[in-house]
Amino acid sequence: MNSKNWKRIKNSQLDKNLFIKRAKIIRAIREFFWNTGFLEVETPEVVALPGQEPYLDVFETELHDDRGKKIPAALVTSPEYAMKKILAAGYQKIFQLTKAFRNNESLGGIHNPEFTILEWYRQSADYLDIMKDTEALIKFIIKKLGLPTMIAYQGTEIDLSGRWHRLTVTQAMKNYAGVSNLSDGGIRRAAKKKGYRVENDEPYDSIFFRLFLNEVEDKLPKNLPIFIYDYPAELAALAKRKNDNPELAERFELYIGGLEIANAFSELLDAKEQERRFLKEQELRKQSGRKIYPIDEELLAALSEIKNPCGGIALGIDRLVMLLTNQKDINNVLFFPAKELFHH
Amino acid sequence: MPTSADIKKDAVLNYNGQLYVVTDFTFVNPGKGSAFYRTKMKALESGKVMEVTFKSGEAVDIVEVDKRKMQFLYKDNEGFHFMDPASYEQVTISEELLGEKGVYLKDGSDALVLLHEGAPITIEVPRKVTLKVVEAPPGVKGDTASGNVTKEVTLENGIKIRAPLFIKEGEMIIVNTETGEYVERA
Repeated sequence: MNSKNWKRIKNSQLDKNLFIKRAKIIRAIREFFWNTGFLEVETPEVVALPGQEPYLDVFETELHDDRGKKIPAALVTSPEYAMKKILAAGYQKIFQLTKAFRNNESLGGIHNPEFTILEWYRQSADYLDIMKDTEALIKFIIKKLGLPTMIAYQGTEIDLSGRWHRLTVTQAMKNYAGVSNLSDGGIRRAAKKKGYRVENDEPYDSIFFRLFLNEVEDKLPKNLPIFIYDYPAELAALAKRKNDNPELAERFELYIGGLEIANAFSELLDAKEQERRFLKEQELRKQSGRKIYPIDEELLAALSEIKNPCGGIALGIDRLVMLLTNQKDINNVLFFPAKELFHH
Repeated sequence: MPTSADIKKDAVLNYNGQLYVVTDFTFVNPGKGSAFYRTKMKALESGKVMEVTFKSGEAVDIVEVDKRKMQFLYKDNEGFHFMDPASYEQVTISEELLGEKGVYLKDGSDALVLLHEGAPITIEVPRKVTLKVVEAPPGVKGDTASGNVTKEVTLENGIKIRAPLFIKEGEMIIVNTETGEYVERA
């Protein structure tokens, strides 16, 4: 029997300190957003219509109302839909620290099925503004905690000072995977050439991310924070296409020390286009045997109410804590990791 | 037909006509793109290691292996020698093929040997083994704020691992053979 985290913590001042540091990080995040004029909001974790992301598995449950009527319900995969409705209600800058739930993930490593997520959204802004926010936020946390700008993570010294490195997806795929043609045909050929088994009906995003995660992610420099940006439009999800190049979407991911920390968009506000993408996502869910949920019509209506361009982001708090406490396994930064709750 | 979900560590796969033993196996569900299994496997003939990703649900050819409890005799230039205590039959696994698992074998100890058509492939090492600490420098208190203060200790089988400062020479500790990391005091 493995000793449980809480028992280990009981006997170790070092582990106690880790959780104190975690709490200080959370506190610094709130302070940063209050200082910069963001409003803290709360949105439901149990909802009628969960995320439609094609590769996420939803935790399903059931709501029983006061007359005993049973209504299908689910836990949110992210608070994104609700946050956008709050933007539509007229708030300009909002943030939230909450839990998100994704089923069928590994218990430990860089995943826990229930995790803490930070999201923030702002009007009259785009993904580049969000990039600046992200950099400022993490630098603020480090300063608040009295940490040096050179942090050690799993044997690598990471320099968080100065302007953070930026690399387009096109450059990253070219430099590290040797793939310069990111068209559908291009990545299919490249994947096959590298020995991947690619079925004819395998969707673009599946092939792309297999290449990215196996050929690129590991080779990204680990000694500096790096924004990977401008994704092929097929991977836009809820992001807006670039005005000057509709083949690309305004999306970025932040990597620090090899950990994917955040994913951000210039938000797509075109309700028609969003509806088309939801229909396509439903198709992909169907293809992979996942359950399809009805489209959130209220979200589509809300998008048309937002008159300013918007940027938004989701940042994994547990991974940020791993980074700042030099922990390799997410289970070490949780009092009660799912792995301890459900097996072993 | 087995699928990628049935792959386990030490499973033997027929991949493109060659036999491989799986040495490392991680399920990756990134949330973007479909889930896959990142698999490290070693060619039985050449000992060459390769990394392959199998998509979730992809059909794979898993080869049946026999498991036999044998006694580890000794190690020499040819590799690790084992004997079946029932038949006195002896088999040898090269150091190249056995890899880092060899360090957990003690002369005369029992080992679970995996065989394919009579040829030994690898051994199954228990996930946790208890080993004696033969060398442990006194702990030096460093930067406790980094949350990760350990020191290097040497174990009876010659391997060096990171252990907490309070571990002393002569103590027995439990080591995770998959990660090669300290687990707890025995």
